[in-house]
Amino acid sequence: MRICVSIVSLLVVGITSGCSSMGVEPWERDVLAKEEMQLTTDAVEAATDDHIYFSKEASSGGRGFGGGGCGCN
Amino acid sequence: MSNKDCNRSIAAALTAATCTLLGTSAVEPVQAQEEPGWDFNTALLYYGEDNDRVQDLSLNILSRRVFVDDRYLSLGLTVDALTGATPNGALPQSVPQTFTQPSGRRTYTTTPGEFPIDDTFRDSRVAVTAAWEQPLGRLFAINIGASASSEFDYTHLGLNAKISRDFNKRNTTVSAGLAFAQDELDPVGGAVMGLTQMPVAVDDDDDGDGDGRNRGPAEDKDVLDVVFGVTQVVSRNLLMQFNYSYSDSSGYLNDPYKILSVVDGTSGDPVPIAQVPGVDGPSHLYLFEHRPDSREKHSLYTQGKYYMDGKVLDLSYRYMTDDWEIDSHTVDLRLRWPLGSRSYLEPHLRFYTQTAAEFYRMSLIDGDPLPEYASADYRLGDFDAMTAGLKYGWKTSGGNDMSVRLELYQQSGNVSPDQLIGNQVGRDNYPDLNAVIFQFGYQFGK
Repeated sequence: MRICVSIVSLLVVGITSGCSSMGVEPWERDVLAKEEMQLTTDAVEAATDDHIYFSKEASSGGRGFGGGGCGCN
Repeated sequence: MSNKDCNRSIAAALTAATCTLLGTSAVEPVQAQEEPGWDFNTALLYYGEDNDRVQDLSLNILSRRVFVDDRYLSLGLTVDALTGATPNGALPQSVPQTFTQPSGRRTYTTTPGEFPIDDTFRDSRVAVTAAWEQPLGRLFAINIGASASSEFDYTHLGLNAKISRDFNKRNTTVSAGLAFAQDELDPVGGAVMGLTQMPVAVDDDDDGDGDGRNRGPAEDKDVLDVVFGVTQVVSRNLLMQFNYSYSDSSGYLNDPYKILSVVDGTSGDPVPIAQVPGVDGPSHLYLFEHRPDSREKHSLYTQGKYYMDGKVLDLSYRYMTDDWEIDSHTVDLRLRWPLGSRSYLEPHLRFYTQTAAEFYRMSLIDGDPLPEYASADYRLGDFDAMTAGLKYGWKTSGGNDMSVRLELYQQSGNVSPDQLIGNQVGRDNYPDLNAVIFQFGYQFGK
């Protein structure tokens, strides 16, 4: 667990410093502000999909928490 | 006129007089504007498997209230009605097979050559969620939530929290989240002990909560999830996300309804057991599955959203590995294709593959020493899955969003010939799955 935290910390520092040259100015966010450009466009559809695949496969989570709360797996 | 009203009118007169003297007009104080009410995201989902297996009708409602200063309250409700049958883990046979129902009171018999399925499966599930999200200062935001669900044989309670911080002109967001769940399983007939024999049926009036044969009372399962994420705006048209997640489950992780066939080491056929006249019971030797009481999972997830002249490509990949030796890869691809300004089509493809758990086996061999853990649950086997679907969404004349989607989900198992014994060669040994998903969505109040 401690190794995982160290790896994640290094990744976060690396990504935030490495990504400082990327991105857009605040006035260039017209496309990113569109509803269809959000990472999750339909929260209910994402939740129902996660629930189906959690019930039928041995993997879950990734996008967010691992889910569960169900006797189906 | 009451004293209060009198004071108010005096205050109003004084304000007017002061404004006249100062040469200004009385201006209504600026009230922070709140959104007019709740918005709702609702969906009705049908999930149906072929061969009379699981059918689920699910109603989902997610409501959200926006407050000033980007604060949100979300409340969710899901109601599932499940029916159908599910493979019990036993291998198909050329003769009928009889099993004791999970309640331990009656038996059911399956058709020769077909996958033994337990058709006594019926359940309903109600799940609720609540979440509160708000900024903390200029660059931080927090989200705290709770969840609970109840089924006939399962209760879940969970808490979660997530904190995020923006960097680089809000082009980079780093987040960390923690979730904890405490679940209780109270299976029909009691929580069976792993690798014990399926008992004969006893039609007593016992409530099934531990009848002393091979069953105990309710059991607990705890799940801890940790997620670290980075979201990065790469360009005006490209947004990326990277997540690492860790999940630790401990407690009773068996599926109390799943069994394994015990087979003859030469013929590969399930071992019959002597029937006692007047006693209903299993026709062959079956043992309940037994999984380890802990599981650690690690996942890496990345998602990209790319805008191309009105069309949006959504591509994600997940790699998962765990200490049960299951590795999985998932690729998910969606393309939102606008049809004019008020509707769109969205084709969807998903590919999934997983390796088997280290203790997964199709059967146990009679006479061999029992392994520490064993399960024939097809969901822990080596299989590939594919989803193909199409969604159509449109804006109503009232400005609300409606959508319909139809998807087909298919699972096919990979059974290598060296796993098969005697007569198992040539038989269908993995319960492949075909399912249809239909969803109607309606979002209103935005």
